Amino acid sequence: MKRRTFIKNSALSVAAISTPFILPSGRLFAATGQRMADHVVFVAFAGGVRQQESVLKRYLDDSQEYPSTGNIMYNMFNGSSPTDKIVYGTDGIVSGDTPIPQLLTQTLQSQGTLFNEVNASVVGHYPGVNTLLTGNYMYSQGLRNKSSSPTIFEYLRRHQGEKATKTWFIGNGIGNSIPLLDYSTHEDYGSQYGANFLAPIITFGSDGEDHLKNAKVYHPEDELAPMYKMKYFLDNVWYSQGKALPNIGNTEQEKAEIKQFVKDMFEKKDNGTIAHPPQASGGDGQTIGYACEVLKRFKPTFTVVYLSNVDGCHNNFTGYLQSLHAADHAVGHLWDYIQNQIPEMANNTTLILSPEHGRNLEPNGIKDANAFYGYDHSDANSRRIFNIMVGPGVDSNLTIGSEGNQVGDIVNITPTIAEILGFKDDVINSGLTASNTSLFDLI
Amino acid sequence: MRKIYIIFSLILFTFASCKKEEPIYDVNQIQSTSYNANKDKLKSPAQYISILYANLFQQALSANELVEITRCIESIGDKEVAHEIILSNFMNKSGVTLPSDSLMRSDLNGFIEETYKRFYVRDITEAEREFFLNFFESHPDLTVEMVYYAFSLSNEYQFY
Repeated sequence: MKRRTFIKNSALSVAAISTPFILPSGRLFAATGQRMADHVVFVAFAGGVRQQESVLKRYLDDSQEYPSTGNIMYNMFNGSSPTDKIVYGTDGIVSGDTPIPQLLTQTLQSQGTLFNEVNASVVGHYPGVNTLLTGNYMYSQGLRNKSSSPTIFEYLRRHQGEKATKTWFIGNGIGNSIPLLDYSTHEDYGSQYGANFLAPIITFGSDGEDHLKNAKVYHPEDELAPMYKMKYFLDNVWYSQGKALPNIGNTEQEKAEIKQFVKDMFEKKDNGTIAHPPQASGGDGQTIGYACEVLKRFKPTFTVVYLSNVDGCHNNFTGYLQSLHAADHAVGHLWDYIQNQIPEMANNTTLILSPEHGRNLEPNGIKDANAFYGYDHSDANSRRIFNIMVGPGVDSNLTIGSEGNQVGDIVNITPTIAEILGFKDDVINSGLTASNTSLFDLI
Repeated sequence: MRKIYIIFSLILFTFASCKKEEPIYDVNQIQSTSYNANKDKLKSPAQYISILYANLFQQALSANELVEITRCIESIGDKEVAHEIILSNFMNKSGVTLPSDSLMRSDLNGFIEETYKRFYVRDITEAEREFFLNFFESHPDLTVEMVYYAFSLSNEYQFY
């Protein structure tokens, strides 16, 4: 074969192989794997959760040298609750003396698979959540920077062609740089594949009441259409000479839906009909309530809910126990709501729970009102966490690993989500995650 | 001594008189660089909101409100959506200082020139002028509020 013909044929072959197909769904490439479920809800059970008070169910026995053990997270874990020195509930006659009734008839542990002892190598809040969402330890970037590795939102949207309103990141605030994790700065991914971030306790809290609630309603055709036409002209002129603005790619239709959602939430709040858990006095409970509303409205393919009230453990151990108990209640409500109030997601959703890191073995010396010591997060015990998965295709009533037998790592979460939603090969082929192993691979 | 003085004066006169006059071609000076080229920094949410408020209300936003509104913007990931909601709340408040629609219609050319200066701190180009004059003509119900809304949400307004 002549050299020129060879080069020409080779070029044509490469072009034919690499040319993507536009699928009827609008996707550029076909999904690389079968989906186990069409929806994943990942609750970053964050803020720093000690193994001792959560999965090990030791209550005060392994923290305050008081011999009372028991399970204060009985929607998630099997086991009976403490019977002595009850301070983890809501306020009754005295503070914390009234435990919240169990919501789920069957615990998440028995409905799904529990990884008892999992490694989490970073023990800061932002690096921890960053690792959960990118599958990479955050060793080479600052705390107030967007992630340099792609987030799971970006993998999903780029490789599965999902719309922006099909990926949500719902935080319980805007602290700890959490809003930065809606997309990364990676050159192959970035804002156009980002998630819709929402911090509902601010959006619909007192700040939102003052500055977001009374939005003027413009007529879509007579007013909004000409306004957008002028804006598009101005933007086109700007693009010819100026910088592009980060944009997560909500279409006009999607933006209208989000604005309508915000408006409706203020009305529902006034009417007292937000889907909050029965006991939702804290920020985590409120956040879960609005997360339920997002799920009901948008039926996202992938949703991350970030909770962090338990971080009060630094100086208020009693409050930490109450927050753990309330977050367990909120997660139980979330799962119950998905199964019973959102038919499109019922039996077609996988729920994953994971702390971003644990807390110390030894207390820090700060006592609260009950003379309980607080705990920080910096020693080896802070690297111990648990994971729970429940949903279609996930083994029920299965426990992997045990105290002293660590199985799994926090970087396994990203491949796990990708596997459930059928694009694990794309994530692996990107070569950008620390591990290609999912939690399923470890069973 | 007198001789030296005369020679010195002659030298001084010779150099001082050798100034060449600048030619005048009767052509106006024009700006040859890009109009937007110097705006390359993205405004922070606080900068954007305080400038927008000053533009619409002709007064400074209080420090408390600035913090509250900035938090609201940070609580919504899609900044275009967040800005749109904040702006439509502003437009619903009393105290917004806008020219009247009749004033706009009486001098469209002057209005759009002034709007470019107010929001973009620059002169309008002829292409932009033509677009807007045609747009005003084809949309007789267009209001000042709608024009300001478009400028407030435009991408150029996000940069400085």
